[in-house]
Amino acid sequence: MDSCDTPESTPRQRASSRLKDYFIGATPLQKRLESVRRQTSFVPTPSRRKIPQCSQLQEDVDPQKVAFLLHKQWTLYSLTPLYKFSYTNLKEYSKLLGAFIAAEKQKGLAVEVGEDFNIKVIFSALLGMKGTQRDPEAFLVQILSKSQLPSENREGKVLWTGWFCCIFGDSLLETVSEDFTCLPLFLANGAETNTAMIGTWFQKTFDCYFSPLAINAYNLSWMAAMWTACKMDHYMATTEFLWSVPCSPQRLDISYAIHPEDAKALWDSVHKTPGEVTQEEVDLFMDCLYSHFHRHFKIHLSATRLVRVSTSVASAHTDGKIKILCHKYLIGVLAYLTELAIFQIE
Amino acid sequence: MDETVAEFFKRTILKIPMAEMMTILKAWDFLSENQLQTVNFRQRKESLVQDLVLLCEKKRASLNDAAILDIVYTQFHRHQKVWDVFRMSREPGEDIDLFDMEQFKRSFKKILQRALKNVTISFRDAEENAVWIRIAWGSQYRKPNQYRPVYVVYYSQTPYAFTSSSQLRSNIPLLGQTFETHNSTTPLHERSLGLDINMDSRIIHENRIEKERVQRVTQETFGYYPQPRLEFAQYKLETKFKSDLNGGILAEREEPLRCLIKFSSPHLLEALKALAPAGIADAPLSPLLTCIPNKGMNYFKIRDK
Repeated sequence: MDSCDTPESTPRQRASSRLKDYFIGATPLQKRLESVRRQTSFVPTPSRRKIPQCSQLQEDVDPQKVAFLLHKQWTLYSLTPLYKFSYTNLKEYSKLLGAFIAAEKQKGLAVEVGEDFNIKVIFSALLGMKGTQRDPEAFLVQILSKSQLPSENREGKVLWTGWFCCIFGDSLLETVSEDFTCLPLFLANGAETNTAMIGTWFQKTFDCYFSPLAINAYNLSWMAAMWTACKMDHYMATTEFLWSVPCSPQRLDISYAIHPEDAKALWDSVHKTPGEVTQEEVDLFMDCLYSHFHRHFKIHLSATRLVRVSTSVASAHTDGKIKILCHKYLIGVLAYLTELAIFQIE
Repeated sequence: MDETVAEFFKRTILKIPMAEMMTILKAWDFLSENQLQTVNFRQRKESLVQDLVLLCEKKRASLNDAAILDIVYTQFHRHQKVWDVFRMSREPGEDIDLFDMEQFKRSFKKILQRALKNVTISFRDAEENAVWIRIAWGSQYRKPNQYRPVYVVYYSQTPYAFTSSSQLRSNIPLLGQTFETHNSTTPLHERSLGLDINMDSRIIHENRIEKERVQRVTQETFGYYPQPRLEFAQYKLETKFKSDLNGGILAEREEPLRCLIKFSSPHLLEALKALAPAGIADAPLSPLLTCIPNKGMNYFKIRDK
């Protein structure tokens, strides 16, 4: 462990530098050692983040093409880099995965497909779904039911969707060699059994590892603050928080919904640094919500567990579930999630 | 022999692992060597237990004998239990009484039987001037439940008594009283420690006074009886933001914050009742919540006055 030459920094210093600073100027071994060390000590997450803006790259994305990603609940996973994955082989992968699923069905393992449809697997690239040019291209996997009747729509119903992306993944990209493709964020919609099956195929084929991505209360608070900070022309949904009370003989859930304009007014009153969100602001924002609640109910929400936050931009649940509601900030939301995924991998 | 007593014997003997069977029965000292020799200890456990119960019946074993066997078993398996430690405090200047074990047992039994209608009390002396007391509780109308007894181990030459954890926490004060009345000492201080932790008198309940106040206020607010069953309550708030700590936030804003708060639970009022004792809420709880049973409402609209 002492072969690591990276300078000793105090927790305070570490907290105020971005993740990627660790990886500049260190050998791959040093980087690995440093990240292992970090896992066992004080968590050095950034104390400030940029408020999601409409990224330039996103301007190129056709809103129609990504509309299907919105208003859907996605289950989140972190994914280690894929070994020897090639974008030119997408058709091949479609066939291989299709064959794998058919074989699993034969074994009686593929359930939840309903009637015995034939299924079709499609791998496709998701263009423009990245933060910088260096981010690898995102790609999409869909399982469709192939209807037997020729009169029906040839494409059939989408049974399962999963997509892999990397938004501002510099810190991870710098650590891996060229044989690896880094797409640390995986989002799945559809039956859990299908997700498990497809995950198995990917793990076997590309020597990678999926891990469910939970979102703790700390990150949920950050998301709530950041998404409240986003400029919106009109609000589609109320801003809502859900807390679960621990150490209670009976389960107790407290839902706290606040009119989005009022949430924004509160945020604007708290917010000081233009273009950025700081730790202090997040804490103060949450504190204001807690104290307003306490004034009425004498309950300390801070002693309970934040389980879900929901805004007009997106909603997130601690179990690692996300729903993105706003096309404009899609990349911004994914950027935060990519950061969490990378943190979990390391 | 009474059916319930026979069943009690059966279940108690069945608990004993085969490897310990002979040792425990010998320690029990109810069945003689000769009698034990007539039993085949190599047969299947169910059959062995049957034979032993028959022997006990022949010898006219009583409920108390079964209780003693239970004590012996527990003595061998004391490490499987969690024990609370009680320490009797002594006023300065008090003399050390001469302790009479038999008198203690008599008065202990008397006090408990006077207070409770249905109770089984058994004693077994143990090493180092210790006495093991087994108490099976019933209720006004129910016979004692022999399968959920409480054990008290009292080391007579020390101020310490151990009790095995019991669901019936309400009976602990009564036990305390029996010691109190016998020893005429000041009330017990409870300390919950593992059996093999040294009795460090520096370990105390912090905030004991505040905890007691919270309990008292919660009892006053919610009462002793189970709460009415309610699953949710909803509050529409339109109140201004006011905070002393976060001064200046939204200070100029005239409009109130529009909030909708929903509480939901399989048993909401019980859950709310548990909040203050758990330290999650202040005591007394807000009248907005405590008024629910009185008002018979669970939808509220709150505005600034």
